[in-house]
Amino acid sequence: MKKLLLPIILAALVLGFWNSQDFQEIAAGVAIFLFGMLMLEDGFKQFSGGVLERVLDKSTDTIPKSLGFGFVAATVMQSSSLVSVITISFLSAGLIKLIAGIGIMFGADIGTTTGAWLVAGFGLKVKISAYAMPMLALSIVLVFQKSKYVRGFGFILAGLGFLFLGIHYMKEGFDAFSEQFDLTKFAMVGVMGLLVYTAIGSMATVVMQSSHATMVLVITAMAAGQVSYENAIALVIGANIGTTITAIIASLPANYLGRRLALAHVIFKLVTAVVALTLINQMVWAVDWISDKVGIRPDDYALKLAVFHTMFNTMGVAIMTPLMNQLIAFLERTIPEPELDISQPQYLSRAVESFPVSMEAAMRKEVKHLQDNATKLIAHGLNLHRHEIYAADDVAKTVEDSRAEVELDIDAKFEQRVKALYSAIFDFASRAGALNLPRDITDHIYGLRDSAQSTVHAVKAIKHLRHNVTEYTKYPQGTITDIYNGLRAEIARILIEINKLDRSDPDDRSMLWLDEERVQIERDRKNTTRMIEGLIRDGKIDAEEATSFMTDSGYAYEAMSDLIEAARVYYADTEDGMAEVERILMLEDEDIEELLSEVGDLENID
Amino acid sequence: MALKNTTEKLDEYQERLKHKKAKPISRKHVEKVIDKLASKHDDLKAELKAASKPSKRDRIRAKVKVVEELQSRANWLLEKVKKSK
Repeated sequence: MKKLLLPIILAALVLGFWNSQDFQEIAAGVAIFLFGMLMLEDGFKQFSGGVLERVLDKSTDTIPKSLGFGFVAATVMQSSSLVSVITISFLSAGLIKLIAGIGIMFGADIGTTTGAWLVAGFGLKVKISAYAMPMLALSIVLVFQKSKYVRGFGFILAGLGFLFLGIHYMKEGFDAFSEQFDLTKFAMVGVMGLLVYTAIGSMATVVMQSSHATMVLVITAMAAGQVSYENAIALVIGANIGTTITAIIASLPANYLGRRLALAHVIFKLVTAVVALTLINQMVWAVDWISDKVGIRPDDYALKLAVFHTMFNTMGVAIMTPLMNQLIAFLERTIPEPELDISQPQYLSRAVESFPVSMEAAMRKEVKHLQDNATKLIAHGLNLHRHEIYAADDVAKTVEDSRAEVELDIDAKFEQRVKALYSAIFDFASRAGALNLPRDITDHIYGLRDSAQSTVHAVKAIKHLRHNVTEYTKYPQGTITDIYNGLRAEIARILIEINKLDRSDPDDRSMLWLDEERVQIERDRKNTTRMIEGLIRDGKIDAEEATSFMTDSGYAYEAMSDLIEAARVYYADTEDGMAEVERILMLEDEDIEELLSEVGDLENID
Repeated sequence: MALKNTTEKLDEYQERLKHKKAKPISRKHVEKVIDKLASKHDDLKAELKAASKPSKRDRIRAKVKVVEELQSRANWLLEKVKKSK
């Protein structure tokens, strides 16, 4: 069926062109209109990575706010589809909650109806092409400018110009068409008319992927007397059902949250359509009453249709908003959260690749996912348990008591839970690098990839340690057990500090805290050599044990440094000015050496 | 105070800023970091007071030393930022 659809549409178009010059004009008008919408989307995407996402991020914490945001965004962008795509992308990246996403989508459904008002109130009454031509001419100058914002503005202007031009051609085409044919003879009355035209409106919107385009087509056709008012109303209802296809398509590569949002949109439109079709007479009466109150002429059916379109969506929002919690419960039952497979990426999907900020957010969450898997594996690799060491008052004692071997195939777990995720992260960062993203976002994504790499190195180092750690600490064997426990405690302290950093408020923490740990690692590393020499001299360990320990402590310090490096990048301040300050202040290796030489002064600190 | 590297990093930052490859640092940014360091310093001092185990006290003292070093660097940077405005 899917394979047949394209040839059928193309054949229908060719047949139409063959038979009617005016049909060509109408079809070209639709095509120019849709092209205008694509340019508008491209224009707004140039502003991505800035205002759009920041506003979205901050204005969706309550239902009224998210409704308002959706309304304003769709009104400004004249596309509820673009708002849907952004919302699904943000939802998949975990930047907003499902309830906020649904609110935005509902608001956008009302916002997008302003387009019908523009066409009905302005497009049909003014020679709209007179505005289109200068807009297009000016836009092309802006599109070739270097600044991406000027270029974005150029695309928006060109988009609006093409929208206007498309409306003009549709209007001209229908005016000429009506002189030769009278489509109203196909008009149908009664329930059958409602159902048939609703289905036609849905199909037209599915094909054009834009309810806005269908609305314009219906309004211009009705203005030319080609569609009766009653059938136009059914077409509008159909267009509202058909528009859900955009959200469904956008949700295909998304995670379960994106799919829940798409289903919410389908339910919203279907419920509203059923209510509207059932109460059609009351709705038409209400449209007449409102039109009369706002001063719309009784025979201005184009504007009345715009009133109906807005009323339809406002009614839907009024019905569904109080049922929001029940709707979410239904969505959660119908599309359950998939059983968590921690070896699979959870945030890096194609859906988040639509917008730079959602890409960075998804990358950050996935790297955190990798870190969680890695720290668990590191702790278990050392026969420790995170919940015990995180709660420990005396870390050394807790480590000493944790002697039982954790049953673990560390190589297999590394492949499944660390390497597989790292591959996905690496792949995602490479794809991001090939996109034309803002430089600061690309830098952040690469930084996060490097953080993931350091984490992977840390786990690899622990893999080397595991055998001897288990061998020497599962039961007390004197000094060799003590020194291996000391090594385990040092690694545990790094995990604890990183956990503390993670749990602290982002406004209070700083990656500079990790400099304390870097100094500590260097102190311990230096002390280790002296300590081992002393133990050999005193005969407390033999040369073989000493060699093993020296090699293993090398791995341990490598792991600790890698964990610190990974955390340093991950927890660096996300505000660029603050990140620069941290970068300037942080200690370099030479500084650490110098500080260590002052270690004798420590006794004075109290 | 080992400021050689910090001075070099500041010069390198200013060079990037000149080429619009860095975001400007404001006085507010440095002051915020100073506040965070002060709060960390207080926390460590409290932790030191509560600690009795010599090895733990030694580790905390080393941390205090690092934070104090960072505080003096941050104050130095604040002066530089103030002068550049």
